[in-house]
Amino acid sequence: MLRLLKISGDSLTPEYQNGDFVVISKIPFLFAPPTCGDVIAFQQPGYGLMIKRIQQITPDGRIEAIGSHPESVDSRVFGTVKKENVLGKVIWHIHKV
Amino acid sequence: MIYQILNKIDQKVNIESAKAHCDIPCGIYDPIIAQISALTAVRMLDLMTDFDSKTPDRNKEYMNSMARYIAVKEEHAERAKAEIRVIWGDYLKAQHLEKYPDTHALVHKIMQLGSKVRQTTDREQATQLVEAINEFAQIFWETKGVATKRAKAPYAPALELVYPAL
Repeated sequence: MLRLLKISGDSLTPEYQNGDFVVISKIPFLFAPPTCGDVIAFQQPGYGLMIKRIQQITPDGRIEAIGSHPESVDSRVFGTVKKENVLGKVIWHIHKV
Repeated sequence: MIYQILNKIDQKVNIESAKAHCDIPCGIYDPIIAQISALTAVRMLDLMTDFDSKTPDRNKEYMNSMARYIAVKEEHAERAKAEIRVIWGDYLKAQHLEKYPDTHALVHKIMQLGSKVRQTTDREQATQLVEAINEFAQIFWETKGVATKRAKAPYAPALELVYPAL
């Protein structure tokens, strides 16, 4: 239902910093499907548990997830993400102080 | 407040990480490649000096050998610079730089020395490059809490390098 994760890396800076915590959930997807701008956590084969922002949903329903940093390792590197690999969207962001 | 509580929990139970990396996070960093590359540049300069003194004829063979020494010097000086840039850019974090505020200046010095080693045949510049990278290696291992030792490299030109004392 809810999952607490710690951000590791800088690809979503400046909004999400290395060391921030986030709570993710799939519950919002019961009311609305993933949409552009959502920050989602997902499992990507070969890359592990990742967190990125949805850039677009392809016509075949796959997700293009990218970071805000130009050198982010994201869909530009590993391709699109399967919807079933999405673990949830960020519903609470706890900033590092 | 909430962050501090979560951080304390994280220290005890290790909260799962979600990667937001800008590179594949292999976590393998070691300044030894830069150190050996700088040492190789010194070695090439020594070979060039030795070869030049022993080869009176400036023929095709001479030019071929000299070109090969120069090519290796070029390659290794550039490799030393690239390796330092990766550790500086990818490994060193704000907290490291706060503790070692001279690191930026040191990296800049390494970049400039590396270029001088490519541009010239000045051995002094090349030994300064080795020493500047040693200083960087010292800082790198300190950030990891690893003690270091200085020892002569077991091959020519046998200059001192900073090694982790494992």
